[in-house]
Amino acid sequence: MALSDYQRDMEGCSRCSSCKWVPFNQIKSWRFAKNCPSICRYNFHAYSGSGRMIIGLSLLTGRSELNDNVAEIVYKCQLCGACDTACKVYRDDIDLTEVLLELRAHCVEQGFLMVEHMAMIDALKREDNVLGEPKAKRGEWAEGLPLKDINRERCEVLFHAGCRYSYDPDLRGTVRGAALLLLEAGLDVGIAGAEESCCGGRAYELGYRGEAENYAEDLLSRVKASGARILVTPCADGYAHFRYLYPRMGKELPCEILHMTQLLDRLVREGRLRFREQFPLLFTYHDPCHLGRMGEPYLGDWKGDKLQRPMSLKRAGRKGVYEAPRNLIQALPGAGLVEMERIREYSWCCGAGGGVHEAFPEFSSWTARERVEEALATGAEALATACPWCVRVLRDASREMRAELPVYDLVDLALQAAGIAEKERV
Amino acid sequence: MGLHIVVLAKMVPDPEGPPSSFEVRSEEKRVAVRGLPPVINPFDENALEAAIRIKERAGGSITLLSLGRNLSRAVILKAVAAGADASVLVEEDSLDQALLDSRSTAVLLAAALRTLEPFDLVLCGRQASDTNAGVVGLGVAQLLGLPAVTLAQKVEVADGRVMVERVLSDGYEVVECPLPALVTVSGEVGDLRYPSLQAIRAAKELPQRIVRLQDLEISLPIEAWVETVSLAPPRRERSCRMVEADTPAEAGERLAQLLWEDKVV
Repeated sequence: MALSDYQRDMEGCSRCSSCKWVPFNQIKSWRFAKNCPSICRYNFHAYSGSGRMIIGLSLLTGRSELNDNVAEIVYKCQLCGACDTACKVYRDDIDLTEVLLELRAHCVEQGFLMVEHMAMIDALKREDNVLGEPKAKRGEWAEGLPLKDINRERCEVLFHAGCRYSYDPDLRGTVRGAALLLLEAGLDVGIAGAEESCCGGRAYELGYRGEAENYAEDLLSRVKASGARILVTPCADGYAHFRYLYPRMGKELPCEILHMTQLLDRLVREGRLRFREQFPLLFTYHDPCHLGRMGEPYLGDWKGDKLQRPMSLKRAGRKGVYEAPRNLIQALPGAGLVEMERIREYSWCCGAGGGVHEAFPEFSSWTARERVEEALATGAEALATACPWCVRVLRDASREMRAELPVYDLVDLALQAAGIAEKERV
Repeated sequence: MGLHIVVLAKMVPDPEGPPSSFEVRSEEKRVAVRGLPPVINPFDENALEAAIRIKERAGGSITLLSLGRNLSRAVILKAVAAGADASVLVEEDSLDQALLDSRSTAVLLAAALRTLEPFDLVLCGRQASDTNAGVVGLGVAQLLGLPAVTLAQKVEVADGRVMVERVLSDGYEVVECPLPALVTVSGEVGDLRYPSLQAIRAAKELPQRIVRLQDLEISLPIEAWVETVSLAPPRRERSCRMVEADTPAEAGERLAQLLWEDKVV
């Protein structure tokens, strides 16, 4: 696909600005009524979904040229998809996120690159992860755990840790815990260890599509060789890319793809995992974009007039993973759940996505602080989420704000509730 | 005055992209690239690394020289940040792929190099990853009347001379010549070091000069001598023969026999 494939989408924008707001029937207060971090932070139409479509159309039709300032506007966006979801409440014929992704690819092809993104891509090429950490250390998180090595043996469940979980020392306990929970439930689990690579989705979002395709190819062959029936990942980014991007690129993985919260929810419901420990805390839950609206599976492409497109092919964010994480919180003995105002497919982004965390850290942090404020407004005692990138930036924001709001990964909660955390410590 | 090294750097589509990123458009006689960023030709990166190593030992300065249209500032910045001191970009909208054959590229680069005199050493990659012609370096040397050494795996400078370890199919030979000279560098030199993000940001302060064609002492318009007559992807032909036999063992034996006859094994 190319920017020109979305010309009608861009021409169709009526500049109604719905892309800037939570769908009107879901707004609960003026304070948390906006949905797009970019327009909310920079407050100029160009920074909205609509503004970027106008930019795209202008570039495509040769009415303006790409320059550093325009490219910066294109990159100051987390690609959270909130604008698309809001737009699709009213419009059937605009795929806004796709336009944003095409704009990124256009910038990259034209050489308008962010040096921070180049560093991520170089890190990917050198070390197969976006953090630039040594490839040889990727599997260190699993040391001492009785997990199969899929490079040598076949397994039933392939556990894909993802880049951040593999290297972030603060999340080491979480990723080990995820594997321990699967083992506790008696599953036959394998990992690729040091041979595990990034899913490549971040490269796709940054506009480096060729790089993304290389990784999809690599993972596809690895999954085939493992013989796994299920691929499970605690990384929401990875989940979204496996469910949507890979099939769209023609690289559908030949197994069931689950996010960790979905598998845990299944194991709890089947009685294979029991939560015993009391958790007398009131939680609020942050929907990661890549698990929610961006985690909606690939529904198939539609050629022709999008006004004729069947609703089953319209990607409006409603088929993301929303219930499993909430079920898990509610399954924690003694725990309560109170919702924020912007939830599910119209959730506010944590700020980490789309290369913003790396290129515009202040913007990323501002976005996360906004979310922490929303969480605090609920009166919750803790914030739970299900994505390592969200955990990272929300935890940092909560700390910066000196907010008394611990940020938990749902895996950590499950680990403690199942009483495994104590065993692991012993 | 210290040693002045000029490194010629061509911007090419990332050669590490998957084959599906390259679309051969026969009607337009060009290859369209999708989803790939521009990068410095990897062999030119090797040349820059060789230059940085010389500078570390002998001192001096490095100028990065690139040529084309819409040159990516970010790509140049990253390369310069690795250890160059300045960049010069010969940039014009007319400098597209069709105009820039090896000869016209060499003519333009030689003219640009004359504006950078005095220089002691010109380094460039052995060939570019997109065209793989490997002619431009020698063309520039010819036009400037410089001695040229190709396929360097190690370059050292001392006492007004350059010593080059030159790659051969079964080892290497050492070639020495007086400066100024031009050396084309091979991958054996090693990858270009990766600059830190701080270094890349700091490199924005390094001098960068944009040169237009009318600034060069050449007669315009420049014309390509090479004409692309046709461009087509290679034809892939596959034939499938089924080996039939009563038992798997027999089939295996026949398969081995066929492979042997076809000189596959």
